[in-house]
Amino acid sequence: MGRSALAGKSQIGRGPRTIAPFVAAISIALASLLGLLPLVAQVGWGPSFGFLMLLAWRLLRADAFPGWWAAPLGLWNDVVVGEPIGLSVFVWTLAMLLLGLADRRTMWRDYWIEWLLALVLLFIGAVVRWHVDALMGAHNEFHVIWPPLIIAVLAFPVAAWAAARLDRWRLGR
Amino acid sequence: MAPPTGARPGWSRRAQYGLFFSFLAIVAGVLVGAVLLGLSIYAPSAYAGVRGVALDVTAPVSGSLRAVTSTVTGMVTGAENYWDAARQNGALKAQEAALRRQIIEARAILNENAQLKAALQLRERTPVAVANGRIVGSSFESQRRFAVISAGRSDGVQVGMPVRAADGLVGRIVDAGATASRVLLVSDRANVVPARLLRTGQAVISTGRGNGTIDVRPLEVGRNPFRRGDIVVTSGTGGLYPPGVPIARVMKLDDDGAIAVPMADPADASFAQVERPYEEAALAGEPAAPTTNAAATGPVDGGR
Repeated sequence: MGRSALAGKSQIGRGPRTIAPFVAAISIALASLLGLLPLVAQVGWGPSFGFLMLLAWRLLRADAFPGWWAAPLGLWNDVVVGEPIGLSVFVWTLAMLLLGLADRRTMWRDYWIEWLLALVLLFIGAVVRWHVDALMGAHNEFHVIWPPLIIAVLAFPVAAWAAARLDRWRLGR
Repeated sequence: MAPPTGARPGWSRRAQYGLFFSFLAIVAGVLVGAVLLGLSIYAPSAYAGVRGVALDVTAPVSGSLRAVTSTVTGMVTGAENYWDAARQNGALKAQEAALRRQIIEARAILNENAQLKAALQLRERTPVAVANGRIVGSSFESQRRFAVISAGRSDGVQVGMPVRAADGLVGRIVDAGATASRVLLVSDRANVVPARLLRTGQAVISTGRGNGTIDVRPLEVGRNPFRRGDIVVTSGTGGLYPPGVPIARVMKLDDDGAIAVPMADPADASFAQVERPYEEAALAGEPAAPTTNAAATGPVDGGR
């Protein structure tokens, strides 16, 4: 009892922040804004930062934000990044749905399974995007999806780390 | 072990309903997304206003950041230039002498050309610049190739206008906001440009490949006309792009065409010029069907 008073940092008055329920959504919306970075590239190699952050939060905690928030967040991502409007709304809510089903199937969860789930969902997102591009007149060869997909899969741990840090901050731990 | 038949949070009816309604809300989100996506695929003009406003709001952010990155890269390249200034100086002097000789030749050709054109009484249209804009961003999160430039409807920019940089063709406008607009780059798959081979004048067609390179293919089946290093320029067919603007340089041959890289790299060219379409009719919607090669130049305005 007396020991905790000797600990360096006071444990008194620590707890969830007032904005704790919104931290996940805010961080996803801010991650979408990274698409505005002034990178002028001939090749589309970048990951969708908003989608990575959404997956990282959803895989970290199922209750970080209500699942249907993925729809307005996706609309924000579409408008800001300049994607075909509706693409992120569709893919992000679909990811929420699939992860809801995966939550019922998986017996245990560890970091590798989360990475694998993220890989599968990023792949689904890339395939949907490829089909939408084709429907909009850009019949790219299928192999153009691989380099950005590999980069996105490798970038997922960074997003997961950021989400975990933010989660600790928002819960006051 | 079989999965449980349903996610039951306990005996609380309220919790059960909450879970069920959140599931319904997500399904509704998927459906709404699908409808929005269908609209942007089959009726892209429905979102023109929203996309224009979004461009106006976001382009200044990218623009101000762009100034920072170009300053940093400028400092790096500046330091690099000092690194071997003596060798560069020699090379540049040799280059300058060669260029001076070429300019004299070109001037003579230009003179002769003007005389010949006068003799033929050809109607000459010079492309009119509408606006100049900085290239402030690009779609680096997508395999579609778009760039954002800081010139919009208030500068006279309209959807469909061709955009070029000093080095060559950049693309054409697909979304126009009041102060910023989005350019479909020539390296995008949906951008098909009627072109010709500068060396032989043979008609070719240039299509982006979505990975920064361009696929060039001759219109007529036959021997592969390309050689490494060939320059492909616009032909002016279809009326949108002015003729004679460099598009790409051939890097690699394949069986009946070649892979080329764009001459104007939007990453280097910080400024782009928006021009009027070569023929005004091209802006009205469908490009005027050219009398020859109609089948091959059909998809010129096919994207988006």
